[in-house]
Amino acid sequence: MYEADRVLVSRMRTGEQRAFDEFFNASASRLAAFVSRRSGLDPASVEDIVQNTLIKAVRNLASYRGEAALFTWVTEICRHELADAHRKAVRRPAHDSLDEPDAVAFPVPELWVPEHLEPAAEADAHHRQKAVIRALNDLPERYARALEAKYGDGLSVKEVAALFGLTTVAAQSLLARARDAFRDRWNVESDVVVGVRRDD
Amino acid sequence: MTERRITGREEDDPSIERALTTALSTEPLGDETLERVRATVMNEWRAANPPSRFDRKGRWIAASAAAVVAALAVGFIVQRAGDAAVVGTVARLDDGGIDVRGRFWRHWTAHVGDALKTGETLTVHGPVLLSLIQGGTLRVAAGTVLNLTGGVEVSLAHGLVYLDVPPSIKSSTPLRILTRAGAIEHLGTQFEVLSNEGAVRIRVREGKVRLVGHAGTVVATAGTELLASVRGGISQRSVETYGRDWLWVAALAPDYDIEGRPLIDFLQWVSRELGRRVEYADAHAHDVAAHTIMHGSVRGREPLEALADVLATTSLTYEMRADTIRVHSVQ
Repeated sequence: MYEADRVLVSRMRTGEQRAFDEFFNASASRLAAFVSRRSGLDPASVEDIVQNTLIKAVRNLASYRGEAALFTWVTEICRHELADAHRKAVRRPAHDSLDEPDAVAFPVPELWVPEHLEPAAEADAHHRQKAVIRALNDLPERYARALEAKYGDGLSVKEVAALFGLTTVAAQSLLARARDAFRDRWNVESDVVVGVRRDD
Repeated sequence: MTERRITGREEDDPSIERALTTALSTEPLGDETLERVRATVMNEWRAANPPSRFDRKGRWIAASAAAVVAALAVGFIVQRAGDAAVVGTVARLDDGGIDVRGRFWRHWTAHVGDALKTGETLTVHGPVLLSLIQGGTLRVAAGTVLNLTGGVEVSLAHGLVYLDVPPSIKSSTPLRILTRAGAIEHLGTQFEVLSNEGAVRIRVREGKVRLVGHAGTVVATAGTELLASVRGGISQRSVETYGRDWLWVAALAPDYDIEGRPLIDFLQWVSRELGRRVEYADAHAHDVAAHTIMHGSVRGREPLEALADVLATTSLTYEMRADTIRVHSVQ
């Protein structure tokens, strides 16, 4: 199903420079966006996570079987890196909590809303962004990933189709269903956010 | 439940598209960052996936080479033996090996003690320590391809090298490293060079390095990283001279012969190898280091291991604090 990715990995395993360039150019920036959307990390830490993920990927190319898109496989490695980063951050708290030593849950990395300390004029935009991200996190993962690929990474429908191993028509259908589900959740989240603001 | 008809249009609600695009937008990685990541990842990729000698292109080249072997045989006959200068010898060879391609496509595998001469191209499959004929060492990471273009000049096709020429070694013509981004000349120093298709990264650990690039000359001092694009752009930033980025260098450190030598000299060697300065916590510690003559061997031990081994036999101990090795007396 992911024959092109499987071939690319085979070429990389034989040390073909062009294959590596193709892989890196297609992955690095998208991966950085993937990390940024799922963490509150500073740019240097994002760079570290991207670098560590790609290093693990190129060291373990033999374990890629072509059962998912290559980028999806890379993001799975990245999720572990994010989890590790989170685990280390938890181990090194800025302030030790004496009250709830085990209170910090270990979250599965999901889309993250940056905490803003902004002028009031920008608060609306932030609330809207928060509603969007919450709505995305509430969607089935396949829908959220499709919308992220389309609107976050700017992939065309054809590229989304390749990412999910679908035909173009099926990818259009997936995106349409994802948008519908998102619209429903977004409306709810928007109401919640407005309600919160009224309470403020 | 309403049935949704697929019309072929990608978007049916511009407000949703706008909301998603805005909420999912991120700051892209800068070009410099991307190049830095590319260089590091590519080095790891090369180490883990060395170029196949029998890929399609390789087979074609091999076939072509076979066709001209007869013609080249004439070249072998007329080649004057011994006209190539020795650049250095193989001092240590960890996992992997070195394929050497000499003149007229002569091909052989180098072993510890073998001399390497000008005109030869080295393809390094595992970490290698070369002892340079002019003094100092060149450490070469796995996956590196290096051309010995002259007695005092090497060309780094791609990969990662670390040149260490202690200040005590004076040479009127110091070794130059040629890269896609220009020539790198050292001024008594330790530095690392990483080269790939798009950029060259130079990290200076001690002394000074001069990069004569396509767009001009830049001098970098210790604790500086230069990132030079093959298109001519050069940027620089500060880097630490110690830590995990330099572990591969310490792992390839030449053996230090401690027999009959003062402890203080050994500590100075450890300091250079780890990129951390030695600080004596008290006068007694300094006196002990200055007056202790060592016996035995730390052959095969990495600098940090050797430090622990040696100090365990004295009345001194140490602790690491960022860029400092703090030596103090055992209470």
